[in-house]
This record gives sequence, C-alpha cells and structure tokens, in this order.
Amino acid sequence: LNLSDEQVLAMAPDDSSRKSGKDLANPAKWVSKGVGDNALWGECQGSGSKPYQTQIDTGNMAFKCSCPSRKFPCKHGLGLLLQYSRQPDSFATQTPPAWVSEWLAKRAEREEKKAVAATAPEKQTDTTAQAKRQQARQQKVSDGTAELLRWIKDLVRNGIMDLPEKDPSFFENMIRRMVDAQAPGLAAMMRELADISYFHEGWQTVFMNQLIRIYLVIQGYQHLDQLPETLQQDVRSLIGFAQSQDELKEQTGITDTWRILGKQTTEEDRLVVERYWLCGIHTKRRALILQFFVRGQSTIANPLTPGATIQAELVYYPSAAPLRAIVKQQMTVPPDHRFSGFTGWEEVMAAQTAISAVLPVYNDQVYTIADLTPVWHQEQWWLQDSRQQLMPVKKGFPHIWKLLALSGGHPLSMAVTGREMQYEPIGVWHEHEYKIL
Amino acid sequence: MERWNNIINTALLGTAKKQADNHGLNGPLQTAADTILGNTAADKEEQFLQLASVIYNYRQSGTQPVTAAVQPVPVCAAETKACCPPAAIRVLQPVLETDSIQLLLLWLEYCTNANLLLPPAQLPVMLDKAWRNKSLRVLTAAAGGHRAEWLGQFNPDWNFSRVAETPEERWENGATAQRVEALKEIRATDPAMALTWLQQTWPKESATVKAELLTVLEQPPLATDITWLESLLSEKSKQVKEILIRLLKKLPGSSLHEQYWQIVAGAIQAQEDGHVVVALPELKDDRIFQSGIEKLSNDKKISDDTHILYQLISLVHPSRWENHFGRTPAEVVSLFLRYEALQPFVPALVQAITWFEDQQWATTFMQHSETFYIDIIPMLPTDQQQQLSEQFFDQYPETIIKYASNNPAEWSVALCTKIMRYAATQPYTYNQLFMNNVIRQIPVAISATLDNIVPAESYHVGYWNNIKVHLGRLLQAKSQLPGSFHK
Repeated sequence: LNLSDEQVLAMAPDDSSRKSGKDLANPAKWVSKGVGDNALWGECQGSGSKPYQTQIDTGNMAFKCSCPSRKFPCKHGLGLLLQYSRQPDSFATQTPPAWVSEWLAKRAEREEKKAVAATAPEKQTDTTAQAKRQQARQQKVSDGTAELLRWIKDLVRNGIMDLPEKDPSFFENMIRRMVDAQAPGLAAMMRELADISYFHEGWQTVFMNQLIRIYLVIQGYQHLDQLPETLQQDVRSLIGFAQSQDELKEQTGITDTWRILGKQTTEEDRLVVERYWLCGIHTKRRALILQFFVRGQSTIANPLTPGATIQAELVYYPSAAPLRAIVKQQMTVPPDHRFSGFTGWEEVMAAQTAISAVLPVYNDQVYTIADLTPVWHQEQWWLQDSRQQLMPVKKGFPHIWKLLALSGGHPLSMAVTGREMQYEPIGVWHEHEYKIL
Repeated sequence: MERWNNIINTALLGTAKKQADNHGLNGPLQTAADTILGNTAADKEEQFLQLASVIYNYRQSGTQPVTAAVQPVPVCAAETKACCPPAAIRVLQPVLETDSIQLLLLWLEYCTNANLLLPPAQLPVMLDKAWRNKSLRVLTAAAGGHRAEWLGQFNPDWNFSRVAETPEERWENGATAQRVEALKEIRATDPAMALTWLQQTWPKESATVKAELLTVLEQPPLATDITWLESLLSEKSKQVKEILIRLLKKLPGSSLHEQYWQIVAGAIQAQEDGHVVVALPELKDDRIFQSGIEKLSNDKKISDDTHILYQLISLVHPSRWENHFGRTPAEVVSLFLRYEALQPFVPALVQAITWFEDQQWATTFMQHSETFYIDIIPMLPTDQQQQLSEQFFDQYPETIIKYASNNPAEWSVALCTKIMRYAATQPYTYNQLFMNNVIRQIPVAISATLDNIVPAESYHVGYWNNIKVHLGRLLQAKSQLPGSFHK
C-alpha cells in the first residue's frame, strides 16, 4: 500500500471530510495504531470517552469505523490512511486485534456468501405483475415524451431569442413533468438545459446542442423497435429506465488490470455523482464507474483509489458504445505505470466518430493520449499533439498550473476526459509514473 | 460552421418567422435536407428539428483537431540540482496544512541548504504561497529552480522567481526580493561595493523599490553611507524620506545626530566639583522638531524641556558620554544612576543603547544597574537573554514573550515552559497564529511536557486544548524536518 496524499484525499466524499481527515493525520489524535498483512487500524480519541475504532481493509480498500458518521470513508478512515501514507514507519507491524480480525473474517464470510448466492437458483418473480408495471410505466413515459416534444416544438416555433429573460419556472415545470412521467433521465437532461448560463456569449449553441440531444432521445424512444438492440438500451437508460445491477453482476465481465485514471465529482441538489475513469491495461478498454450518494451520507464501502491499479472484473452496461460499467470484484495490485493509448488527436477523433456513428447521443469519454504539450494560443490553453494538432482545454480547468509545472514545455502523455472540442486532463505520465492531477 | 449558424439563426427567430432551408448544404447533407424538407407529413418544427439533428450529428462525427500556427512554448531549462526526496515532500504536506509561514520557511531553508529543489507538482502551491507572503519569495525562488522561473512567464504573480546563482546575477536580473537579499549579502562582505550598486541603480528605481533597498542599510548602519544618504534628503517620496531620517538618526556622525548631540551636550554639563547640571538651552532651530522630536510633553509631571531632552538622549549614541564626561562607560552609567538630575533620563539612556544596538554598553549597563530594564534584553548575548527572561518572566511576561519571539534563537525548555504556561492563561492572545509565528523558537523537546500545561480557568480548557493539538502538529512536522532531506 503506497498511496500519495492526493490519492488518499481523492477518496474523500466531500471537502469537509478532506479537511477533517487532514487534521486527523496527526499522531497525537491516535491512542493506538497498527498495520497487518491486509489491514490498517487505529483508535482515535474523539469527543466521547471511548476512542473510535477505525479499520481499513487494504487488500480490497474498504473502511469501517465505530464513529457515528454516515460518510464513507469517514474522517477517521481518511486521517488514518493519510498518516500511514506520510509516515508508514510510525505504524508497528503486528497481528490485528480481535476487533479488526473479526471484521476481516466477516468480510471474507460475506464474500463467500455472495459467491454462493450467485450460484443459487433465482427466486421466482411474478412476471405478470412485473409486465403490468412495466407497461404502465412505458405508457407514462410515452405520454411524457409526447408532451416534451410539444414543448420543444412550441419553443422552436416562437424562437429562443428571449430565453435569457424567461422565468425559471419555464424549465422547472417541464422538469417536474418529466419526473412525474417517470423519465428521470430526461428530467436530468432538461435540468442541464435550465442550468445553462444564458448571459454568457455563445449560449445559443450550448442550448441547441442540448435541445437536439433531448429531441434525439425522444425520437429514439418513439421509434425504439426500429433501433438496434444495444442502442435501444442506450435510449432506455437516457430516458431513465434503471438497469438492475444485480442482473449485471450475474453476467461474466471483463477481467483485466485496470488503471483508475481519475475521479471527477459533481453535485446536484445534494446528490453527489462520482465519476471514476478506468482504462484496461491489457484489453485497452475504457470504462466509467458511476457512484451516487446524498451529500454527507456516502455509503460506498469500497471506494476506488484514483491513480491506483486494480485487478478487477468489470461488467459493462449494455450499450452501442459500452463505457459505463460496474465493478464485480476487485483487488488492489501494485501500480503499473506503463502508458498505452492514442498517438494524437486524429486517432481520438476517429475513435469518437466511431462512437458517434453507433450512439448519436453520447457523453464525455476518457482517452489516454501520448505526447501532449500545453500551449497558450488565442487567449486560452490548448493541448498540442506531436503532429502539431490542437484541442482546447476546458475553460476553468483548475489544475492548469500543476499540468504546466509537470510539463515544463515538454510533451506529456495524458489521460483526458471530454468530447468534441473540450477536454480536461485528469492525469499525466511524468517521469515514468502515472500521476493524478 | 455556416451550416450550424444557419440552424442557430432559425432557432433564434423561430420557425414561425423563418423556416428551415437547405441553404449552404451540399453533398449527402443536401440529400438528407431535401428528404426532410420534402416530407409534407411533418410540420415546420419537426422538419427543423430533424434537419438540426442531422447537422448536429454531422458536425459531431466530423470533429477535427485544430491545425494552427502556434508560437511554441519555450522549453524549461534542465535543472542542475536534484529534487528533494519523497520523505521531505511527505513532511511538506503537513507543513502546508498548518499554515505556518515560519515552519514553511524552515522547510525551505532545509531544502536550499541541502542544495535540493521542490518537485514540479508542488510548485504552483508554493509559488502561490510565496506570492501571498513576501518573506517566502527568495527561498521559494531558490528551491523552485528553473521550473519556477519558467512558470513565472505565464503567471505574472509568480515572476519573482528567477534562477540566479551569484549575488551579482541576482542583483542584475532578480526580482526585488532577490535583489534585496543580494544587496544584503554583498554589503556583509564589501559595503563599498553595495553602496556603489545602490548609487548606480538609484535613479532607475521606483519609490517602493527604493524603500525596500534602503532597509538593507539598517543592518547595520555604516558611517560610510552618511554622505550619500544625506544627499538624498530631497527625495519626494514620503516613505523613502522617513526611512532616510530613521537611518540618519541611527548614524552617529550624521548632521542630524550631531545636531541632537550639540543640544544634549549643551544641556547636560559636568561642573568642576563633579556635580552635573541639567538645563535645556532655548531652542531656536526648529529642524529637530521636523525630524520627529515632540515639543510638548503629554504628562503633567514631566516638563516640556525634560520631555525634549529625554527624546534627544534616547537618540544620541551612549559612547558620546564617555568623552563628554571623560569617564568610562561604567562610570557614565553610575553617574546617571547616582545623580538625581540625571536619574529621569536613565530609561532614555537604555533606549539609546537599544536604538544603536550597542551590546557592549548593554552588558556594562546590566552589570551596574540594580534595576532591571526589560528593553535592554534584546541587546544581550542569547544565553544571557534567556537566563534573564526566565528570571524576570513573572514580572514582564508579555514583553519577554515579545522579545523572545523576535529573537530567532530557539528557546530553552525552561523558558518555553514558562511561556506556554502563560499562554495557557491567555489562549485568545497566544493562539494558533502565535504558535505558527514562533514555531522556529519552540524546542521540539517541549512536546513531552505539553500535556502538563493546563489553564487555570476551566473555560479556557477547550480552546487551549485546540491550540495544543495544533502545536503538536507543528512540533511533529518540525521534528521530522532534519531527517527528511537525507537521500
């Protein structure tokens, strides 16, 4: 277990945990601490009479703490891991105490049970009732999409010129209607439309891009049976039909050594979305793991560590251009810093066109690209490849100075996310090592 | 682009006013547009949305990188020094988290003394810190290497960082903070050269830079600078003029100092029988008041004449009394202490000793005075300072803490324990910020006894405990510094 400060802090569910975690990376706060083969543990003196018992399964990166926090990992877990990453020598190697070994044993037992359950025969479901429920929902969604289409047509008939002056309820009513129509995916797409900054130059293009994407999803849904099977799945998920993760887990996934290229976090109405971008070292496949939780109540017991390498089986969601996946099982392995990826923007564009050809409404992708140099041109930063071709860096990219400092004007192989004409670097290969930004 | 603009224009006006058309389309796009626009079953809005979707997809599928003639970014020069080891970086993180500039300075001192560099990934954070805190700039520039200087061309806030190995180079090409340091360095070995540098650059500098450069001449003030300094008294900048006057006041031999002395020497005379008479002559020249001497006393018990004389004595070098009375420093001190007429001016003599930073006079004074004058403490040798600070701590806790904080020497554990005990009684004054500022002086060994220090008032306990935890973090990081820079 050899993590950098950035890697540990990237696991934090929010800024306040990050800050408190840093404060707790202080030996004075810990009554006892130790490290074993697959575990790290410590007792942290909190405000109560008894110290909190914090434990980390380092083999499978899982956290447990006796504190009442509903965050995962909690500040104690982060503080303990941060302290270990900074001063591993201050942790004595020893046999875990009973409270740690019992937890580890329980985890192992649960894993076994899961494996047994996976092989157990499926329980009978009431297929008739299920079909009825599905039919009712499809009807609701059809009605909702028809109404949304009417709204869109009204909008284009009257023109979008006066949109900046519109009252927020103009969008809010339709967003609520989509929620009622059980089409949360469309509601989220409408939310993006409402959140556009209508006082920034060029809002018209941003608006039309999103409006057309919504229109395409509606059209796709209204002509679902005419679409290829995998694209049907994409349209259904864009509408907001959930895919059962249990069903996915029953499928055989793709086992590879995956590099966790980076993590991006966004928040909307207290709902935190964590995007983990992965790249398979042998299969060269790219993947996106999404995790959702209500702010302050993260229940993700096995957070992925940005910049780390895991041996894992990933199952992709069915899609014409599979990207989103779930981790079926994982194990942290020593980091592998070899670079593999595209040689330049032209190859990236070709890959993107291939996606666009099968999935017209696609979201941000992740690419690893060799030898990109940050350059300043026309009042903004660009990434220039070895053939002198350029792509702009997303406006407001927060780590531009770190990227420049690492580059020093030299090309760097990078992991970037984005699509079309906007990219955001999330990590670089610097001095033969992959570093997250 | 024109195709997409056409879509945007139609969308802005609305299909009621402007229908979708195949203007500017050709090839497969025109075929698609003809099919869409020819479909009479679809309404105008449907036709527009379909055509917009086709063009959106066409654009999306055909995105191409930009090919443009871009001014290449200059490549950063290769570093000649190595980066600091990972252990040092692991210590840097907690140091940054404590927000203690003093601890950060200490980290940078270790780094530069070991002839090592900051790793590139840490530079933005460090350069930003140094931009906010001028005191960090010289060391950050030294530890930042070529990469920090290279970054400075893209971020004007960071252009204080320039790589220069010799003082001459730093003086010629460095940023202001680096030039000040170079001037200090050269003045320590060759004061005449330092003066020549200053004289050469003077007409080209702004008032702010002039002020910063002049401060170097205070450490210590030299008689050889007097003529030049006096020639500058016509400077327009108020800030520069104030520093000039302060400097001249610190220089025995300057016209100002001599003027003060003439008045003082005239006012205090030794009689043939050994008695001393004090009488301020009438002051006809107003220049002394223009230099900052107050005319009126603000204490009813002290006359205006005594007040003026008191101020003047505190600004004349104590060695002048040796010739004036024809006695040794020790005899002068006892004269001041013995004669009633001179006794009110004893604190002024102490002030003069500290103003001219005369350690010999300070030691002599301490040997002969039965009264302890706290202001003399900073003039004494460090070990004597610490011993006296411990001895008189209970009488002058705050002043001693102030002086001890200004002295860079590390406190003895005994003195530190006294300071911490006092700090625990005033946790709102001696708070985390105070600990941040004096961490350099706090010995690591105090960690062992910190837990024994508890405030007398129960309502201070919580606040003091937080300070103690913070101090624990500072000490923890400080203790790791020496070992972490070994490769």
